[in-house]
Amino acid sequence: MERSEVRSLYLLAAFLVCAYALPFFVGFFTGNVRVDEQWLAYLVAVILGGVMQGGIYAMFAVGLTLIFGVMRIINAAHGEMVMMGAYFTWVAFFYLGVDPLLALVLTLPLAFVFGVAVQKLLLNAAVGAPELTGLLITFGLGLVMIHTAEWMFTTDFRTIPYAPGTVQITSTITVGQNRVISFAMAVVISVTVYLFLKLSRLGKAVRATALNAEVAMVCGINVRRVYLITTGLAAALAAAGGALVSIQFGFNPETGIVYTLQAFAIIILGGRGHYVGALIGAVMLAVLENLVSLMVPNGTAMVELAAYGMMIFVLLIRPGGLMGVKDA
Amino acid sequence: MKRAEHLRNLAFLGACAVALALLPHGLSLYLRSFVLFTMMYVVLALAWNIISGFTGYTSFGHVAFYGIGAYACAILVTDYGWHWIATLGAGAAVAAVVGVAIGYPVLRLKGPYFAIAMLGAAEGTRVVATVWDSLTHGGLGISMPSAETSMETYYAMLVLMVLTIVVAYWIGHSRFGVRLNAIREDEVAAEALGVNATLYKLVAFVLSAVFPAVAGGIQAYKVLYIDPPSVFFVQITIAMALMSMLGGKGTVIGPIVGAVLLYTTQELTWVNFPTAHLIAYGLFIVLVARFMPRGLMGLAIDQGWVRKGMVH
Repeated sequence: MERSEVRSLYLLAAFLVCAYALPFFVGFFTGNVRVDEQWLAYLVAVILGGVMQGGIYAMFAVGLTLIFGVMRIINAAHGEMVMMGAYFTWVAFFYLGVDPLLALVLTLPLAFVFGVAVQKLLLNAAVGAPELTGLLITFGLGLVMIHTAEWMFTTDFRTIPYAPGTVQITSTITVGQNRVISFAMAVVISVTVYLFLKLSRLGKAVRATALNAEVAMVCGINVRRVYLITTGLAAALAAAGGALVSIQFGFNPETGIVYTLQAFAIIILGGRGHYVGALIGAVMLAVLENLVSLMVPNGTAMVELAAYGMMIFVLLIRPGGLMGVKDA
Repeated sequence: MKRAEHLRNLAFLGACAVALALLPHGLSLYLRSFVLFTMMYVVLALAWNIISGFTGYTSFGHVAFYGIGAYACAILVTDYGWHWIATLGAGAAVAAVVGVAIGYPVLRLKGPYFAIAMLGAAEGTRVVATVWDSLTHGGLGISMPSAETSMETYYAMLVLMVLTIVVAYWIGHSRFGVRLNAIREDEVAAEALGVNATLYKLVAFVLSAVFPAVAGGIQAYKVLYIDPPSVFFVQITIAMALMSMLGGKGTVIGPIVGAVLLYTTQELTWVNFPTAHLIAYGLFIVLVARFMPRGLMGLAIDQGWVRKGMVH
C-alpha cells in the first residue's frame, strides 16, 4: 500500500472511533448513560439489535453497490425497490395468505424481472452518460413508484405481524424473534450471492465487467447481458430487504428515500462497488444508528444525521471507503 | 460576440422586465403568484446551472441554500423584527458562508460522489433545521405575521430574476465562464493551462448558492409559513436539475426556457389532474432524461435551427 493510502486508513479509523464514542459522550452529559448492570445489559442488547438490523441494511446496500460498481450509475430508486418488495410481501400475506418468508419464492423472481425491464428500457441509455442522466432517470422512476404505491395502497403505515416472540440470549438479554429470523435470512441470502459472484461463470462475468467493461467485452463477455443480470439481481436483493423490513418495521410508500440514503452511506463507508465492504458497512452503520437512538436526545432525527455525516466525512477522508476502492 | 449583439440581448431582457413589471396590475392574485413562482424557478434553474451546467459539478442538494434563505428570512422577521428586504441580504450572506464551508471540502469530489455528498449535505441541513429548536422552532415550522405582500414579493422576485439572468449571461460570455467550461471539459488540463480550478469552482459554487437563498427568502415572505419538509424538499433540487436539462444545461437561455415550460406544464397538470399528476411528473422526468439529455437547446443546435454561439 502507498503511504497516503495507509495514512487515510488511519484517519478513517480515527474518525470511526470518534463517531462511535460521540453518542456515549452525549449520553453521558445528558444523563442517558448509567453504569449499572441492568443498563449495560440493555446496551449489549441494543448493539446486538444493531448487528441484526445491519443484516437488513446489507440487503439494501449490496444491490446499490452492484449497480454502481458495474455501471457507475447511482440508483436513486433503490429505496423504492425496497418499498416495492415490502408491499409485494404485504399483499402476499394479507390477500393470498402466504408466509412472508415463503413469499420470497414469489416476489424475488418478480422483482428480478422488474429490474431487467428497468435496465432494458431505461438504464442502458444511462451507462457511460454523465451522472445526471442516470440520477434523474432513476429519481423519476422512484417518483412513479411512490405515487403508484400511494394510489394503490394509500399512505397508511403497514406492517406484518410475524413471529412476535423473543429469544432469550442470557438471563438479561433478549432479542425479538422476528429480528433473529430476518438476520438469519439476510445471512443466507448474502452468502448465496457472494458465492454466486465468486464461483459461478456468470458471477465472474459480473465482477470482470465491474473491473473494466471494455476489457470484459474484448474477452467475449456479453456486457449488455451482465448489465441486465446486475440490475435484476439488485432489484431482487432490494425486494428481499423489503420483505425483511415488512416483518419488523412499519412502512409506507414514502419511506423509500431513507433507505436509499442509508444504502448510499453504507456503500461509501464500505467502498463503493465492493460486496464485502457493503456487508461490513451495513452492520457498522446499523450499530452506530442504534447507539445514537439509545443515547442522544432527539434520537429519531439524529439517526438520520448519523448516516449523512458518516457519508460526507468518509467521502472527504477516504473516498475509497474501508476497502480503499480506487477509481476505475 | 459583437458588442451590438450584447446590446440587443440586453435590450430584449429590459423589454421583458418592463413588460413583467407592468403585468401584475392586470392579473388576479392567483395568476400573479403563478408568474412569481415561474420567475422563482427561473432563478433556481439558472443558479443551479452555474455550478452544474457551466462547471459540470452536478449538485443534488441545492435546495439546502433555498431552505437556508427561507429560514433566515422567517427567523429574522418573526423573532428579531427585521424588515423582510433586509433579511434577504442576511440570507444571501449565510448561504455564501455555508456555501464556502460545504463547497471547500465537497468540491474536491467528482462526478457521482459530489452529487451524493451534496444530497447528504442537503438532507443533513434539513435535519439540523428540524432539531435546532431554539433557533428554527423545530418541526413545527414558523408562521410569519401576515401582511398584504403579493406586490412587494412580486417585484422583489422580478429584480432578483433580472439580476440572476444578467449574472448568468455575464458568466456565459466572460473569461470566467470560459474557465468554468474548461474545468467541466477537463479539469486536469485546465489546471495545467493555469486555471486555478479550486478557486473558480468555489466562486461558481458560492454564486450558485446565493441566488437560491434570496429566492427562498422571498418565497418564505410570500407564503408566510415554512417548515423543514417544505423548504428542504428534495424535489426542488430535482426541479432545478430537470428544468436546466430540459432547456439545455450549460447555456444561459436553456434553464430559462426549461423553467417556464416545466413550471407551466406542472401547474396545468396539477390543476387538471390532481391525483395522477405526480405519476405523470415522474414519467416526464424519466422521459426527458432518457431521450433528451441535451435538452431543447441541444435539439435546436442539432437541427440547425440556431447557431451554436447564439444559445450561450
